[in-house]
Amino acid sequence: MGFDQFVADRLDRLLRYATAITCDKHLAQDIVQNVLMRAQHKWERIGAMDAPYLYVKRMVTNDYLSWRHRKAAREISVERSELAKHVPSMADPADAHAEREAMRARIAVLPRKQRAALVLRFYEDCSDAEIAQVLGCAESTVRSQLSRALQTLRAHELARSATLGVHS
Amino acid sequence: MNDLIRQAIAAEAEERVDSRTVLAELHKRKKKPFGLIIGVATLTVAAAAAAVIIPTTIKKTDASPAVQPVPATAQNVLLIGTDNNDYTDSLVLARFEADGSVRAVSLPRDIQVGDERLNRLFRQDPKKLTSTVEQLTSTKVDHYAVIKMSEFGRIAQLVGGVEVCVSAATVDVQTGATFPAGSQTLEGDRALQFLRQRMGLPMGDFDRIKRHQAFLAGLAAKINKDNALALAGEVGRSVRVDEGWDVLAFAQRFQGPVKIFTATLPITDPGVTPNGQGLGVDQAQAKQFVEAQFGGTAQPQDRCVN
Repeated sequence: MGFDQFVADRLDRLLRYATAITCDKHLAQDIVQNVLMRAQHKWERIGAMDAPYLYVKRMVTNDYLSWRHRKAAREISVERSELAKHVPSMADPADAHAEREAMRARIAVLPRKQRAALVLRFYEDCSDAEIAQVLGCAESTVRSQLSRALQTLRAHELARSATLGVHS
Repeated sequence: MNDLIRQAIAAEAEERVDSRTVLAELHKRKKKPFGLIIGVATLTVAAAAAAVIIPTTIKKTDASPAVQPVPATAQNVLLIGTDNNDYTDSLVLARFEADGSVRAVSLPRDIQVGDERLNRLFRQDPKKLTSTVEQLTSTKVDHYAVIKMSEFGRIAQLVGGVEVCVSAATVDVQTGATFPAGSQTLEGDRALQFLRQRMGLPMGDFDRIKRHQAFLAGLAAKINKDNALALAGEVGRSVRVDEGWDVLAFAQRFQGPVKIFTATLPITDPGVTPNGQGLGVDQAQAKQFVEAQFGGTAQPQDRCVN
């Protein structure tokens, strides 16, 4: 597959993926742009692979998890954790939209690698093996990252339901 | 809860920027860095190639009226390819024209200058090398760029191999490297073996210089807008240039494929010196030769090398 064709087919999906793992559409845009520029220069090799998309997704993920974006990631986390505190009281708890926004805010404050694993599983529908490939770690690590993320989200979910129960 | 997670992530993903914005940005960036990249890559490439030095001391501008007045933007750059101990393996005096074309003259590294061999001067003091080259060739050296020859294997790999043509099969008795006759694409260790071989070639170091030139031309031919950025990124770090040279401004002249014309500075009969045989240079002849080469009147070289 040629580079231009790849971009035409996958750019939107890459942007969605990057936005989901970064929780920042501008950072996602920067990362995707930079990665595609780099990928283009190695396209002879990447394009010949069985799964170019998986490889480019790995580049995007690595870029985000690399030290360069640590500061940006922390700033977003702080902003989102503020948001997370306010969401439950802002809307009718019965409203599905509010439920979803509350979950979104909780996902945004997960550690970056856990969130990446979560997005790969629940958004990109990747297997453990594929996630391990993208994150560059063992499958057992993938499982532990996912289970920790789910544990955190579940704990929040329980706490929130309890709080809302008292208030209602 | 899993469904809720799916919905939440999908909502987050939905926030992405418009892909058309990104496409436009990619398109814009593709064009912009091209000049710079080509420039840096060319320098590197050129430095890789070979050794040539050119003449005219800056101090004696009034003593060399025969030198053509140069357009303000044309610049003479000494490209220095070193071994891992900072001895010069390849020396090329190159004139970078305003239009991005390059005319290069290789200087044999065994040229004897007073008590010194040309290939040892850089290690002592880069300025000593540039001023010596200026004197030998009666040509002003505006800037210099240095690269380790060992980088060229990697550079060749980055461009997907460099095509060279060998006129007859060769064997390097030192390394065991063999090259068949005909066109071949080299990268990595093979490229380095090609650039390093002197033994087993009819003209020894002179054939090696021609190999450097052939490699340089082959490399220049491989640089394009698709690999230029990666090249500049990889290679930029391994090239050293003189202080005060605005390489970015210099690089602006390269906007497309780079044309390189190469030649080797003529030498006189070897003379015996305390250090063994060194090559001599007739300054008047050297000056004339460099002027002709830089003026664009030099003969094209054979495509195939020994």
